[in-house]
Amino acid sequence: MAETTPHSFGGSMGLSSMSLSKGFVTIVASTLALILLCIIFAPSAVTAGSLMGSLPFAAVLGIVGLGQMLVVQQGGFDLSVPGSVSLAVVIATHMPNGQDAGLLPALIIAVGFALAAGVLNGIMVAYFRLNAIVATIGMNALLFSAVFAISGGVPRITTNLLAHIAGGQTLGIPHSVLFALAILALVSFGLKKTVVGRRFEAIGANPKAARAAGLSVKPYQAMAYVAAQILYCTAGILIAGITREPTAFQGNSLLLPSVAVVVLAGTSLLGGRGFPISVVIAAFFLNQLSQFALSIGVPYSAQTIVQALALVFGIGVYSIEWTTRFKKEQTSSTEEENHETV
Amino acid sequence: MIALAEIEPMEKADGLRETSTGTPVIRLRGVSKSFGAVRALSDVSVDIHAGEVHAILGENGAGKSTLMNLITGVLQPSTGRIEFDGRDVMPLSPESSSALGVAISYQHPAILPDMTVLENLQVSLPASVFQGDRKDRVGQRLLEEVGLEVPLNARVDTLTIAQKHLLELAKALAVQPRVLILDEPTAALDQDATDMLFAKVRALKASGTAVIYITHRLAELRQIADRVTVLRDGRHRGSAPASEISNSQLLDLIVGRRLASAFPPKCAEANPPINFEVEGLSGRKFSDVAFAFGRGQIIGVAGVEGNGQSDLMRALVGLQPYRGAIKLYGRTLSPKELKHAAAFMPSDRHTEGLAADLTIRENATFASLDKYASSGVLDRGKEMQKVQEVFSSLAVKAAGVEAKVSQLSGGNQQKIVMSRALLSEPGFIVADEPTQGVDVGARFEIYRILREVSDAGTPVIVNSSDAAELEGLCDIVLVMSRGRIVETLRGDDITEARIVGAAVEADTHAHHVAEERSAKEGFGAKLRHFVQTDNATIVPLALVTVLLALFVSAQNENYLSSFNVSNILILATALGFIALGQTIALLMGGIDLSVGPLAGFLVVIGSFFINDGSPATTMALGFALMFGAAIVVGLINGVLIRFANFTPIAATLAMFIGLQGMSFVLREGPGGYISFDVIDTLTRSFGPVPVAFVVMIAIAIAMELGLRRKRAGWQLRAVGSHEESARRIGIRTDRTFVLGYIAVSLLTALGAIMLMAQIGVGDPAQGVNYTLGSITAVVLGGTSLLGGRGTFIGSLLGAVLLTEVLNAVSFLGLSQAYQYGFQGVLILVAALIYTTARRRREE
Repeated sequence: MAETTPHSFGGSMGLSSMSLSKGFVTIVASTLALILLCIIFAPSAVTAGSLMGSLPFAAVLGIVGLGQMLVVQQGGFDLSVPGSVSLAVVIATHMPNGQDAGLLPALIIAVGFALAAGVLNGIMVAYFRLNAIVATIGMNALLFSAVFAISGGVPRITTNLLAHIAGGQTLGIPHSVLFALAILALVSFGLKKTVVGRRFEAIGANPKAARAAGLSVKPYQAMAYVAAQILYCTAGILIAGITREPTAFQGNSLLLPSVAVVVLAGTSLLGGRGFPISVVIAAFFLNQLSQFALSIGVPYSAQTIVQALALVFGIGVYSIEWTTRFKKEQTSSTEEENHETV
Repeated sequence: MIALAEIEPMEKADGLRETSTGTPVIRLRGVSKSFGAVRALSDVSVDIHAGEVHAILGENGAGKSTLMNLITGVLQPSTGRIEFDGRDVMPLSPESSSALGVAISYQHPAILPDMTVLENLQVSLPASVFQGDRKDRVGQRLLEEVGLEVPLNARVDTLTIAQKHLLELAKALAVQPRVLILDEPTAALDQDATDMLFAKVRALKASGTAVIYITHRLAELRQIADRVTVLRDGRHRGSAPASEISNSQLLDLIVGRRLASAFPPKCAEANPPINFEVEGLSGRKFSDVAFAFGRGQIIGVAGVEGNGQSDLMRALVGLQPYRGAIKLYGRTLSPKELKHAAAFMPSDRHTEGLAADLTIRENATFASLDKYASSGVLDRGKEMQKVQEVFSSLAVKAAGVEAKVSQLSGGNQQKIVMSRALLSEPGFIVADEPTQGVDVGARFEIYRILREVSDAGTPVIVNSSDAAELEGLCDIVLVMSRGRIVETLRGDDITEARIVGAAVEADTHAHHVAEERSAKEGFGAKLRHFVQTDNATIVPLALVTVLLALFVSAQNENYLSSFNVSNILILATALGFIALGQTIALLMGGIDLSVGPLAGFLVVIGSFFINDGSPATTMALGFALMFGAAIVVGLINGVLIRFANFTPIAATLAMFIGLQGMSFVLREGPGGYISFDVIDTLTRSFGPVPVAFVVMIAIAIAMELGLRRKRAGWQLRAVGSHEESARRIGIRTDRTFVLGYIAVSLLTALGAIMLMAQIGVGDPAQGVNYTLGSITAVVLGGTSLLGGRGTFIGSLLGAVLLTEVLNAVSFLGLSQAYQYGFQGVLILVAALIYTTARRRREE
């Protein structure tokens, strides 16, 4: 029985042994390969102009993906993404009705709705043990109900101030990208460097072990839904600024990609560790994949097939433990089979 | 060798019982079984003879259950052979084993909690058992055989543990087996039931059945066994006729492992000042436990597995409720303080001890993070320093602190769990089976650490099924049986033989907990029973549907017009078929997110063939292609889920996206008008009732009946209810799941045909909403998302109600806000009600 498994990295007990996760390596390699492909076959997809146009949407997807990641980490699943993003969009455009002065109150109201939705989701799932899918389907319908109550389904033009804040550029970088990076830093710090975040990850990785070690599991599970709603809300507000006349269904197209980026980044749908940086890179990857496909002439209609294949590829990479399989053949390891299902 | 013809068990039973010279029914030759590097059985050879009760004895982990799993075909031996009647029958599967006449009553009954008593019998037993008489009479007879008095239509999860064991016995006895395996059958039985069982066993023996009887209790062995085989550490220690071997000889065979050399020295003081005390502690599966011990002493808890020890451990750390007092340094701890003070090392490392996803550092520190933080932010240097300190004192061997915990050996994994306990600086430590699955070297290090912790003044309580370990490690040993302390050993009295002796010779019987269900007859009882059935939701759903219709029609009398009713029902038919499909997915404990896009995709396919002016053959081809595509999609879903390790959500989500894309590839926008004749035929109505709706009701009723009365239906519910039990009773689970997902897609295809009639054109953007709609309808209908419990009729009603609500909103002139609002409230309220009503099952 092998006492230790030799590894090329992290051989010392030192600080430098921050291991690179498989998800990170996979997604970075895929992204680099994609950029290379773009440069060779579709240079128009990587020009500054086209990136300026597409990056804001990657940024929004990244933020939504981070929210979905927090929920998935706790073994949950959030289908209320469309409702909450759309609601934030609608509140940010309808309430001010083009007047800059009305923006701040509108944003506060949007965050208030997000908090309420998150707390409700969290209580239903963590305390009443409702199935996450059912609870968030119901919440999604309620959020759309609010969307229609506020907007009647008619779009309105965004305020200049919000267009400037969310859609502007500083030093040539779209603000939405800066927002995404700031949020990424915040989520990473919260998850990896704080007591609450580390407990959150441990509970997601194995709630039973966490409970046996004396941690309270339910508040952390509920917390995931609240944080996620805040992130969706932020993404919605950014969309309201980026798009001149956003529709009332702006969130619909974000649900499936939000799950896809979480899976591509390596978080198991059964819960566990989160990879915020990988999620944001995956968002860029998915967005760039569409750009690439468009430039080489794949019809817009076939884009979703590309996404589906990327998703299957991603799950395939993580659900089959290549290294373990290899190791087993060599040493006939004693460990129980690692049923790591995505 | 005796000729095969002679081995007619009926005839040879009496003649051969004394001598056992004939060909045995089962002969195991040099059988070994390894799990990885762990040898569960090595080189075991045993003969099982007809007309004999053959007791298998041994401690926990001696290999008894593995041996039985080999005979029943659940496991395959690594080496060695299994013979039936002198014929090599390898490889055995559960089916071929039961075809050879092997029946088993498992220690943990292989029953399906969501199904009724009768359904459990029917799905587990071959159809031949039920031939020739009414099913319920046969079932009743089978229950009477074992003295089980419960209604045949009672759901099994409402039975007491003893009743479940009797049901398991009834299943094993029903087939009149040639070989009957009883795995600790009396563990949950009271005296009467035990006597009944023994009488049955004697009768079976007399009729020539070979009985393999696994037990821990010498008293039982004396009452029932003809022959006894002892296993220890996976090795065959000896076999003898029961009459020729004394209890003390048996004990010598069971115990006697030599590992005493390197235990750390015990506590020198005989009566140190008490630091941990328990008074009158009672809880689930244990009662009236009291003990006390002092600084430097380690207390051990012993007993046959399942006699309340692990429940006691969990209560001691605040994971289970208890009555009584737990005192640390003389102070009674409140439940909250208890949770804070205790550090628990759970017995099941993989499920409760470690998070496989996290590194060993993260695993070691997640209970003590606040100790390395200031105002909530971690100091990584401090965390690292503490981890390295404890790892070096525990001699953890790992590639680095960031290594994955799953890469470690069992011993090192246990040291990580221990590190976590120590890092949290606990008031006391409870270690449940601390050395299970740990190699010998690491074991002694664990003993050393526990001793050091105890010497340093932290009370240590150890539960172990390894008596030799307790002998070497502990200063006081409590032996438990049936939830009570039957012996307290101290000092030199702590020997392996005394511990095992006290455990196996204890003659207490399970206290029949006053759990008798009220057996009142009459309307009240019938109502109570109906409320518990899967179809109970039909009544409130139908009521709400009718009331809503009446309410809306009071506002607008056109609502109940023939046209509108027909309109609602047509819409409900498309959703209804898809919801019936979704119900199957949920019954299996899965989900199918791809139904909506699949319906849309199939309509797009149809729109290329089923047009005005197309010949009938083209149209037929169109329909055939729709169903063919559905089968392919269902097959892919099922295979991804069962054979490629995808979760149902992941697989069907990928399918969702892919199908949506396929629709748009086939058609960029709406096009291909569907033949009017076809639409006309599909939407034909008699008065307000569309023919298609009637057809759907007929299909739903047929499926509902199939679900309750046919083997396929039972199997579907069985895999969703408890997959492991389903596998053990011989259901081919993978096949059931894959066929199930194909059925989901086929029903979706029927829904797609109705959808086609509604929209009349191949529109790639349509259909997607049916995923959420179908889940809403099924949840409204009352199907559980946990699997195993559901109702097709309820899903159908859910689909009607949902369609009605959406229609009513527009009829009342309300905005879309209400449409969404009602839908959301409806599903959340339904889910809250059903989940709360079924809370009991989850706990």
